[in-house]
Amino acid sequence: MNVKVGDELPELVKHPTTRQLVQYAGAQGDFYEIHYDQEYAHSVALPGVILHGLLKAAFLGQLVTDWLGDRGTLKTFEVSYRGVDMPGHPYRCRGRVARVEGDDVELEVWGEDETGKRTTVGTATVQMRD
Amino acid sequence: MSNQEEPSLSGLPAATAPVIDRLKSRIGVDGPSVTATVEAGHLKRFAEAIGDRNPRWASEVPPTFLVALAPSSVHVAEAEEYGKGWLNGGNRFEYVAPVTVGDQITATGRIANVYEKPGSTGALLFIIFETDYVNQRGELVARLRGTMIRR
Repeated sequence: MNVKVGDELPELVKHPTTRQLVQYAGAQGDFYEIHYDQEYAHSVALPGVILHGLLKAAFLGQLVTDWLGDRGTLKTFEVSYRGVDMPGHPYRCRGRVARVEGDDVELEVWGEDETGKRTTVGTATVQMRD
Repeated sequence: MSNQEEPSLSGLPAATAPVIDRLKSRIGVDGPSVTATVEAGHLKRFAEAIGDRNPRWASEVPPTFLVALAPSSVHVAEAEEYGKGWLNGGNRFEYVAPVTVGDQITATGRIANVYEKPGSTGALLFIIFETDYVNQRGELVARLRGTMIRR
């Protein structure tokens, strides 16, 4: 198995738009107005419409599954949302191998806004195939 | 640490009880189950919405798909009496068995914990929920734990 602690996952940069938030709202069935209604978002003291936390989780999920391919199985995937992100700004998904124990690999993953702030942080554990 | 409140005489806090007590009275109690079939069209729309073109998602579900298949059966609308908006604090998925097109998945959720915490702009209410996903053969396929915050 060719995975070592410190290996970086190939970066994934997403360019979310308000259109994508509407698309995601429909696909997930989450119609909370803060994701597509600017006026509503302002009324609850947000700077504008924001990305769904679970959309950012999906981006980080793609980071992991793109890297993993068919080399193993995703066992756990955990994300914490630390800050809001707005459409119209690039969202960079990054990660590195944090721990390797036999076939079990732990990945540290995070999403950065354009200032480099980690607005989503998480961990994925995978079991590599022999 | 137990978060269970002393039960009131009626067994459940009255509707006028603070919302936090009413939510706490539901800790560990299963909500109604929701059953849904993994449909190819829904899977395709979901993969398009997240912008993930991996061809494997034509038959397998991507890591966060289960939240779209069967929205949490935990009804926490009453928590909207607290604060003015919802925030998602985090999600943790545990994958036990693969889920593919045609599977019929039953989601059963419950509140796992409720607590208040001071925040930078006032108190926040944290609701931790968990959902179990079971397939048509009765096999547990995944678990989800999430933190919803009222601010």
